Amino acid sequence: MSADGEAPAAGTELSPILLLETMRDNDKTWERLAPRYGVTNPDPPWKVSLYATCECLAAGEALPALERRRAEDRLGETLYRGTPAPEQQLLALAHIMLSHGLLSEEDLARRMTAIRSRLEAS
Amino acid sequence: MPHTHEHNDGDHEHPAAPMVDEITDFEVLEIAVRELAIEKGLFTAEDHRKFTEWAESIGPAAGSRLVAKAWSDPAFKARVLTDAVAACREIGIDWTEPTGSGTPSDYMELRVLEDTPTVHHVIVCTLCSCYPRPLLGHSPYWYRSPNYRRRIIRWPRPVLAEFGLTLPPEVEVRVEDSNQKCRFMVLPLRPPGTENWTEEQLAEIVTRDCMIGVALPRADRKADDVRPVHKARRPVPDAHDQREG
Repeated sequence: MSADGEAPAAGTELSPILLLETMRDNDKTWERLAPRYGVTNPDPPWKVSLYATCECLAAGEALPALERRRAEDRLGETLYRGTPAPEQQLLALAHIMLSHGLLSEEDLARRMTAIRSRLEAS
Repeated sequence: MPHTHEHNDGDHEHPAAPMVDEITDFEVLEIAVRELAIEKGLFTAEDHRKFTEWAESIGPAAGSRLVAKAWSDPAFKARVLTDAVAACREIGIDWTEPTGSGTPSDYMELRVLEDTPTVHHVIVCTLCSCYPRPLLGHSPYWYRSPNYRRRIIRWPRPVLAEFGLTLPPEVEVRVEDSNQKCRFMVLPLRPPGTENWTEEQLAEIVTRDCMIGVALPRADRKADDVRPVHKARRPVPDAHDQREG
C-alpha cells in the first residue's frame, strides 16, 4: 500500500449514489450558509456529532478508522471534490456505509424524510 | 432574526447569538445516519454521547500548557521526553479517555519531538490523519488533506514556506510521519523575549501550528496567522518529479 492512500478502499464503490447526489447543493454548505445568518462559528453544529459517529463505528468495529479514512480520501478527490470539508466528510461517510451495506438507500431516504418532518413540526 | 431578551432580574438585555434558521439536507443526513446506525446496533446512543462530550472537550490549549510547563520546568521537560503520556497526566490530560483505553483513533503512545537551534521538526500522517488529539484537539483541515500529506514529506522547506516559515539552510528539517502506533507533537524552541514569563503567559504564544511544526512561537503572537489558500502545485516545477498533479 502506498503512503498516500492510493491502495483501493476495500469494499467502497466509487460510483455516484443518487440520494447523495441530489443533496449536493453547495449553496447550503456551512461556509455559504453561516455568513448569510451572521454566524461566525467556522464549523456546522453537527460536525462534532459526525466525529463521534465515526469514532463509534470504529470502536464497534463496524467501520475501521483507517479503512474509512482511505475511502474518504478517494471519494474526496473524485466524487465529492469541490464540496467543502465537513459536508464532504459527511457525504463520504454516508457513501461508505451505503456501499458497505451498513445502511440501505431506501432506509436512509425514508429516515431523512421523517427527520425533516420532525424538525419542521410546529 | 436577531432579537433581544430580558433576564429575570430585568436589569439588562442583550441580543441573542445569531443562529442559522434553516434545516439543510446535510443536517438531516447527519442525524439519519446516526439514528439508523444506533437502531441497527452498530453502537449505542450512550457510546455516541460519550464520544461527543469528549470531542467537545479537546483543543490545543492542553498542548500549549504542556509546552509552557516544559519550557519552565526542566525536570518536567525530561519526563515529557521520556514518557509523554505519563507527563500529560500531570497537566490533567488522560489519554485513556473516553473509553478507558483511549479512542480508536488515538493510540496511547506519544512522542514529543524537541526542537533545537539546529533541528526543526514538523509532523504529518501520510497514511491518514493521525494527530495527537488529546493534546491538540481536532486536526485542521489542511493537515488531513492529501495535498499537505503528500508534499510535506517530499518538499518540506517549500511547503513550510507556504505557511510563512522559512528556515535557514543550516537548520535541519525532520518530518516525522505518524503511524497507527505512535503520535508525535513538536516541542518548539522557547523564543527570545520571554524571559521571566509565567507558564500562563508562555502558553498563550504556543499556538497549534507551533506544535505541528509549521510555525515558530514568537513573543508577540498569540494566535495562528491566517494563511492564504494555496492551490496544489509543484513548489519548484523543474526540480521535482512530475507525479504531483
